[in-house]
Amino acid sequence: MSRALPEMIHCLNTPGNLAGNGMEVSVLERQRARMKWQQEQLQQQQNYVNENGLSMFPISPHTQQFQVLINNESVLNEFVNRVMKPDPGLDHRWPHFGKFGGEDSDLGSCGIGNGSGFEMNYAISRTASCPPAGAAAIAEVAETKGRESVLPEKLSSAVGRESFRKRKADKTQNLKVVAEDGTRNKRIKGCAEEGESKITEQNSNNKSTTTTNNNNKKETSTDTSKENSKVSDVQKPDYIHVRARRGQATDSHSLAERVRREKISERMKYLQDLVPGCNKITGKAGMLDEIINYVQSLQRQVEFLSMKLVAVNPRLDFNIDNFFTKEAPACTSNFPTAVGVSSEMANPAYLELNTLQQLVSCCGLDMGTNPPDMAFRKTLSDPVSIPETFLDSSCFNPYSTWDTNLQDLYGVEFHQGRSPSFPSQQFIGTENHYKNDHYKTTLVNT
Amino acid sequence: MGPPSSIKKKFLKKWITGLQICSSSKENMSLFERKKAIKLSADVAMASARNATTCWSRALIANASKDDNNKILVDHILGTESERLKKASIGSVMCNNKRVRSKKILKKSCSFRRVKKMAPQMVLASSIAKRLVKKRTLVLKSLVPGGEAMDESSLIEETLDYIISLRAQIDVMRRLANASEHLNLK
Repeated sequence: MSRALPEMIHCLNTPGNLAGNGMEVSVLERQRARMKWQQEQLQQQQNYVNENGLSMFPISPHTQQFQVLINNESVLNEFVNRVMKPDPGLDHRWPHFGKFGGEDSDLGSCGIGNGSGFEMNYAISRTASCPPAGAAAIAEVAETKGRESVLPEKLSSAVGRESFRKRKADKTQNLKVVAEDGTRNKRIKGCAEEGESKITEQNSNNKSTTTTNNNNKKETSTDTSKENSKVSDVQKPDYIHVRARRGQATDSHSLAERVRREKISERMKYLQDLVPGCNKITGKAGMLDEIINYVQSLQRQVEFLSMKLVAVNPRLDFNIDNFFTKEAPACTSNFPTAVGVSSEMANPAYLELNTLQQLVSCCGLDMGTNPPDMAFRKTLSDPVSIPETFLDSSCFNPYSTWDTNLQDLYGVEFHQGRSPSFPSQQFIGTENHYKNDHYKTTLVNT
Repeated sequence: MGPPSSIKKKFLKKWITGLQICSSSKENMSLFERKKAIKLSADVAMASARNATTCWSRALIANASKDDNNKILVDHILGTESERLKKASIGSVMCNNKRVRSKKILKKSCSFRRVKKMAPQMVLASSIAKRLVKKRTLVLKSLVPGGEAMDESSLIEETLDYIISLRAQIDVMRRLANASEHLNLK
């Protein structure tokens, strides 16, 4: 019994799903799959019958049984109608089934069906003695009826639903059903109730995939028995898995909205990590405030830095091409004096030459600067600030900017004796340069 | 987005070329003009360093290439693929504008209906928080280039990208400024 149950449940489940969406799979495919299921089911039933010592009836090929069943339109129609009939409560259901089974056995004994058909009917008539098995069998027969006669989708789905409810009734009433099946039942009920909202595309032919899918679903349902898996797409690789908790809306719009909100909150989390001081703030408004402040501060920083660059570098002359050509004479002329003057500064600088070279090559703007040249500039710049100097060593040089009046500048500087307080007087210095620059441009103009 | 160092490298290269063009095109500029040129070149370089794959960079390029004076600069910074990028960015901005308009119309009609439906207590309870978030979202949209055309989820994504790019930009700019400062002062 417990061996046969999972298969039955599986069979009950899948047609329900199919009927629920019933759009992707063609009718032919469905029919074929149903044939297959039915065959299996019949085999199991036969086994079941054999186990119970009821194998007195000759077992004919399943297809023949099928034909017979289809021929017995009146009987099966009645089945379907019975099953589909809305029952107010479960208490009424079982007596009703008993009666139903009784009628059925009568029908079978009346000889409407021949041998093989009778066997089928006999299995159904066992409902009177064994309610759970009978319910399953009836549901199955009703479904096969629904499939084979290709009834409208609604009918079969309704049948599926009815049968699922019956399964649940089984669970509540019958103690023989094991806990595993109970969880399955629960899940199946969820499936039946949310048949419409499901976007499940299950290939009915591929039985193994569906069973694995069932197992997966079962696991999730055992993990969080409250949750029903909504969207599970076996076929397509790019699927979105959405879960709705109990009480959440399941129509496609609210599902999409929920996905969108989850996406936003996930990104907000990333932003929270990125923006400093945003970790402690809860609430979307506060976080947005912090993000706005941060972006504004960054933009202001860009403004400030561009302003600073203008002030530092009045002619925007970051010209690399001119820089190296012009630098060569300037370098040769200035190099000895500069090194001679700042020999005490040159010593630590030489030690850090290797790192400097690495930085230059890392910068990707290594235009063939020769080591003495670099050393020269290294002595001029602050030896502590290596990270800053990797840029100037490669792409920026004031000598190209003020190649004419730089000598004067250095002359002035040397006369001042390289006062240590000089770096702090940046703005004076830049103003100086600025004036010098103007001076130079006027010279050029005149 | 690749590693930050490669972005910085790319940015620096493009920026330097942009600055060259700035300095060569105009000899006499006021301080403010120069600052603007530097900022513009930095922005465009940053946007093109991101390969115009993101909305904000495309919007930046489109905004920059609107002005005729900046066209040469933008062309040079963008390099060989300038036409393609510009076309893509302007086209996307155009269609974004269209989408924004239709969205606004939709929103108007929706909000009209919703206000009618809701009970007064509900309006009070939920609308305050919603209004707060909405106001801030609008501000953020105005801050991120091209943000008016984005919906909320893409806005946050773009903000992420924009922040990272701004950081890289600021880092490179600061280094350059410090370097030039040191060199000038010595």
